[in-house]
Amino acid sequence: MSENDGRDPMLDLYILETYNLIEELEEIILESEKEKDYKNSIDTIFRIMHTIKGNSAMMFFDNISHLAHSIEDLFDYLRDNSELNVDYPAITDLILQSIDFIKNQLGKIGNNETSDGNPEELVSDIRKQLEIITVETPQESKESKNQADNEEHHYYVSSVKDCNEILEGELQNRLDIRYEVVIFFKEDCGMENIRAFTVIHRLKNLAYDIIYFPEDIVENNETEKVIRENGFRIIFSSKRDMKEIKKSFKGTAFLSKITINPVSEEESCTKIENIEEVKSSLEVVSYREPQIASKNYSSSSESQGKHNMLNVSVEKLDMLMDLMGELVISEVMVTNNPEIASLNLDSFKKSSTHLRKIIDNLQDVVMSIRMVPLAPTFKKMNRIVRDMSKKLGKEVEIVLLGEDTEVDKNIIEHIGDPLMHIIRNSLDHGIEAPEDRIAAGKNSIGKITLQAENSGGDVNIIIKDDGKGLNREKILMRAKEHGLIDKPEGELTDKEIYSFIFLPGFSTKEQVSEFSGRGVGMDVVLKGIEKVRGKVYVDSTLGKGTTITIKIPLTLAIIDGMTIRVGQSIYTIPIMSIKQSFKVNEKDVFKDIDGNEIIMVRGQCYNILRLHERYNIETEVRDIEKGILVMVENEGKSLCVFADELLGEQQVVVKPLPNYIKKVKGIGGCNLLGDGSISLILDIGGLIP
Amino acid sequence: MVFNCGRVVFMRKVLIVDDALFIRLTLKKMLEKYNFQVVGEAGNGIEAIKLYKELKPDIVTMDVTMPEMDGLEAVQMIRNIDGQAKIVMVSAMGQRTMVVKAIESGASGFIVKPFNEAHVVETLNNL
Repeated sequence: MSENDGRDPMLDLYILETYNLIEELEEIILESEKEKDYKNSIDTIFRIMHTIKGNSAMMFFDNISHLAHSIEDLFDYLRDNSELNVDYPAITDLILQSIDFIKNQLGKIGNNETSDGNPEELVSDIRKQLEIITVETPQESKESKNQADNEEHHYYVSSVKDCNEILEGELQNRLDIRYEVVIFFKEDCGMENIRAFTVIHRLKNLAYDIIYFPEDIVENNETEKVIRENGFRIIFSSKRDMKEIKKSFKGTAFLSKITINPVSEEESCTKIENIEEVKSSLEVVSYREPQIASKNYSSSSESQGKHNMLNVSVEKLDMLMDLMGELVISEVMVTNNPEIASLNLDSFKKSSTHLRKIIDNLQDVVMSIRMVPLAPTFKKMNRIVRDMSKKLGKEVEIVLLGEDTEVDKNIIEHIGDPLMHIIRNSLDHGIEAPEDRIAAGKNSIGKITLQAENSGGDVNIIIKDDGKGLNREKILMRAKEHGLIDKPEGELTDKEIYSFIFLPGFSTKEQVSEFSGRGVGMDVVLKGIEKVRGKVYVDSTLGKGTTITIKIPLTLAIIDGMTIRVGQSIYTIPIMSIKQSFKVNEKDVFKDIDGNEIIMVRGQCYNILRLHERYNIETEVRDIEKGILVMVENEGKSLCVFADELLGEQQVVVKPLPNYIKKVKGIGGCNLLGDGSISLILDIGGLIP
Repeated sequence: MVFNCGRVVFMRKVLIVDDALFIRLTLKKMLEKYNFQVVGEAGNGIEAIKLYKELKPDIVTMDVTMPEMDGLEAVQMIRNIDGQAKIVMVSAMGQRTMVVKAIESGASGFIVKPFNEAHVVETLNNL
């Protein structure tokens, strides 16, 4: 109902808010279905529907309001009568259908179309459910609400030290904070006891009265296993606050999971509810704390409740990012300036160290602004797995790990679709039908694990299924049919063979299904991932399952580069690849049988690559004696690059080539020079044939 | 730039210390695939200290057992020169006690032979 030209600004806000509520609702209902426990969500669902009803009525979207109202009524009743024999599965389906309806309508509204969907059928089904319940209500059910709440108890059991001892030590530390930390290291990293020792050693810098379990990590190598299974537990005192403590633990190598809690005097002891249930000496029964997975100031997990938020244009953020990169380089150019390199400037050095620290912090903050958790993207997969597995008649559960891992905002948009496609593939081709699974000795319920983790400057997203795996032979056969094999069969590794699935049009399916088989999926996945400069790896075991790993870089590297000029164009060669540069006489240059120029240097032959020829550049410098040769090397092979002149050494930030430029062999990226011009960075590996 | 994201990092300078040429080469090739630049190699503790002073690397990988001066002593000496030095011990399986001693002397972490590329990168990246 907008007047003349402009869209009602309230409309965008309505759409945004309703969309967020719907997403929240979907998450809750799926979780409840999975846990087979709806009691805790009834109230929230009621609240959400109430809000949507009101908002939609305000904006005159009566169909949505009407639908929301019917659900609100149902859940209002359930609030007081949840103990009944309620058909939750049916209700869940109805809710999901309603969610789809509302999403659909929101989409139309967002496109300035009329919201003309008719919810009457849904509304009547929902009303029917309510009727069934109200008819069946026995009077006694009202009492059920007064039952004691089932809180979740967290049981900590430890044999660290006698409770009293800890208390006494604590009395002296009243003014300091006592922390409890539990660390789990990554699977397969090995020597966990020594790693734990490293952690303790580092901890001594900012903590005291340190107690840890297991204690004999140095003398007893069996503790390696204990730590692997139960985690490494540390209790210590420190004057540092939680933020500093978190930061100091973030740099721990091979960290898989860490929980940090300040503990009170009683808590630092034990919470033993039922001593008879103590079986082994250290059992951590249930933890539900936010995880530290990324290197940035954590955003979403810390601020629950009231957010103080601001809408910022992405362009401004991009500019901020560019400037940040330039700032980093400028700082180096100042502090490492050759003009002062030989001078002994103590005060200057102090100040420049301080400057470097500040710039580092600034980079941290800028990055954290742009970083967004993968959680929403991951959670979308819940719905997909649920719907598709039902359609296919398979039983599948999906486990999400590391969803708090954050990636740059730019990346989130591009990985949703690839992820979705990979998971659909797992469901369609990977996971077998329940009967087949049982016949193969597997659990009838298939499992897909979707995991995100930080790894150095990259983020890894791992999709693992325990289905039937890739059929190496079939893929090989299909590849042969398409004439894709250029190496002798025996030389192809398993991974190379599996990688064929990423080629356009490749499919080993004889029949096309609704979900896949057309052979257009995996190459689109690959393109999507390459757009974010990522890489995809496939591994599989026939009969056991398939694992697909997506690796996405979060860093841009600064390299030392030598800039050279060819005509009007400027190129940068990574200094690491340069062996030497020199001028030559015409008499030193020969031609081989094919007419290629070669030069002899200390008894060795090197091919000469004229950049102006390779890249078709106009330049006056064609005479080999007027230009300069730069000998470069990559993986043991060498080449001499012919350029007009050397311009100088400088540090450059390697920026990827923009999407609209096709990949050029030999160019690995570009960078912005001080005067605003662009230099292309040569990829030596791509130049050497 | 159409696609713009990424935190700017420096290629970190590494000094590789090991008496075996093969180990030095393997490690060098591995590191150069990532954001590391190998600026020097040393065959024993004494060379290591000399090169450390000259090159001022960001990271040192230090073999535990070497002739002339072993890794443990070299760690102590280098940490004396530079209290911020980041040294990663390179040990064979079963040299745990020596690694522990090295950590007590100031080493920041350790990697084990034979090298697991992911472990090596993870360890160096977390220094």
